[in-house]
Amino acid sequence: MHARDSLKAVPLIPRNLALGFLALYRRIISPMYGDVCAYYPSCSAYAVGAVQQHGAIKGAVLAAWRVLRCNPWTRGGVDDVQPHKNFRHALTPRGFVVPSRKD
Amino acid sequence: MGLDLLLANTPAPDAGGGFDLIGTILWPLKWAVELILVAWHWLLTLAGLPAAAGVTWVLSIVGLVIVVRAALIPLFVKQIKSQRKMMEIAPELRKVQAKYKGKRDQLSREAMSRETMALYKKHGTTPVSSCLPLLVQMPIFFSLFSVLRDVTIHQQAGIGGVGLLNATLTQEFYDAKLFGSVSLHQTLGEAVDAKNTPAIVLLAVLVVLMILSQFFTQLQIISKNLSPEAKTGQAYQMQKIMLYILPLGFIFSGIFFPLGVVVYWFVSNLWTMGQQFLVIREMPTPGSEAAKAREERLARKGKAIDSSGKVVPMAAYEQEQQRLLELAEKAKAETPKRQQPVGKKRAKKKGEGQ
Repeated sequence: MHARDSLKAVPLIPRNLALGFLALYRRIISPMYGDVCAYYPSCSAYAVGAVQQHGAIKGAVLAAWRVLRCNPWTRGGVDDVQPHKNFRHALTPRGFVVPSRKD
Repeated sequence: MGLDLLLANTPAPDAGGGFDLIGTILWPLKWAVELILVAWHWLLTLAGLPAAAGVTWVLSIVGLVIVVRAALIPLFVKQIKSQRKMMEIAPELRKVQAKYKGKRDQLSREAMSRETMALYKKHGTTPVSSCLPLLVQMPIFFSLFSVLRDVTIHQQAGIGGVGLLNATLTQEFYDAKLFGSVSLHQTLGEAVDAKNTPAIVLLAVLVVLMILSQFFTQLQIISKNLSPEAKTGQAYQMQKIMLYILPLGFIFSGIFFPLGVVVYWFVSNLWTMGQQFLVIREMPTPGSEAAKAREERLARKGKAIDSSGKVVPMAAYEQEQQRLLELAEKAKAETPKRQQPVGKKRAKKKGEGQ
C-alpha cells in the first residue's frame, strides 16, 4: 500500500473502530438474545450497514433511530439501510471499509 | 455496551472543566435517575428511616428498579399479545418455510427471511420481542453508574449532581455505609485495595447471586418457553452455549461496578426472574413445554383454552370443538367437487359413442 493510500484510510478510522465494536457485539452479545429483532436486517446488521455507508456518527444516529423504531408497537418488516449516494470506498470480506483501489 | 464501559472507565474529568461525553449524552437520564433516587430517599426518610443510613439509600436504589421496571411492563404485555397472534399466521409461515426447505445457501436464506418478515408485517405481528425492550435498560444503567461515580468526584469538590441530588445529599450519599464500613460507591477493586473485608464479602456474595439469578432466568426460558421451531435454529445452539459463558461476564462487571450499581442490577435480575416466572406460567409461548404444562394444569381443574386463547370450562371447550368440526364438515360438503378436466376431443368422442 502506498503512503497516499494509508493517508486515505485515516478518515475511515472512526467507522472502522465502530465496525470492530459492532462485529464483537454481533459475535458475543447478539447470540445470547437469539432472534429478537422485528425487522430484516436485524438492528445490529442495520447498524453495520449504516456505519459502512454513512460513517461512525451518522451511522450511529441511524442505528439508534432504528433501535427506537424496533419496539413492541412496530409492525416490523424489511427495512434496509439507505445506501450513500456516492459511496467511494471498498469493503473487505469482514465488512471493514477501506479506500477504493481505483482512482 | 463495551464501548460505553470503556468510556465510563476512563478517568473522569474534574468537575470544573473537561468534556464528559457519556455524561452529556445521558444528562436527561441522569437527571431522572437523581430525581427518582432523591424522591424515594425523601419518602423513606418520611417513613422513619434514618436519612444518612446506607440501608435508606439501598432501598432508594431498589425503588429506582421498581419505577423503571414498572414503567416497562406495558412493553412486555404488548410483546406477549403479539406472540399470541403468531398462532394465527402459523399456516402461512409454514408455506414460506416449505418453499425454502433444504435450501441452505446464503441467498435463499436471505430471501426466506425477507418473505417471512413481509408476512409478519402484513399481519401486524412479530414472533420476537423487538430490540428496544432489551436495550432500554442499558442507558438507565449507565446513568446510574455515572451518577454514582459522580458522587465520589462531586463530594470531593463539595458540589451536587446534575439535578436534585444537591451537595448535602451527595455528601450524605457518600458517607452512607452498610454494615458500618461498606460504601455504595465502592467497587470490588477498591474494596480489595482498602482491605475492607465486609465490602469484599458483600460484593462477592451479590455477584454470585447475580450470576445465579441470571443463569436461572435464562435456563427457564430455554428449557421451558421455546417453541419447537425456535429449538431448531442455530441461534438456539448459541443460546445454550451462552447460558454458561455469559455469567462469567458478571464476574468482570462485579469487579468494576460500584456496589450501588451491583445492587440495582441484582434487584433488576430478581424482578426479571419473577416476571419471567409469571409469564412462563400464565402466558407461555404457544407450542412450548410450558404451554403444555399449563394445558395439563387447566385440564386437571376441568378447564381448557378455547380457540381465541381464553380459559373456559371443559364443557364449553368441547362444545366449541364440536361446533368447529361441524362447521368444517359443512364447508367441505358445500364446496363443489372438483370436476376432472376433460379434453375437447375426448368429450366429443364420448358424446359420439353414446
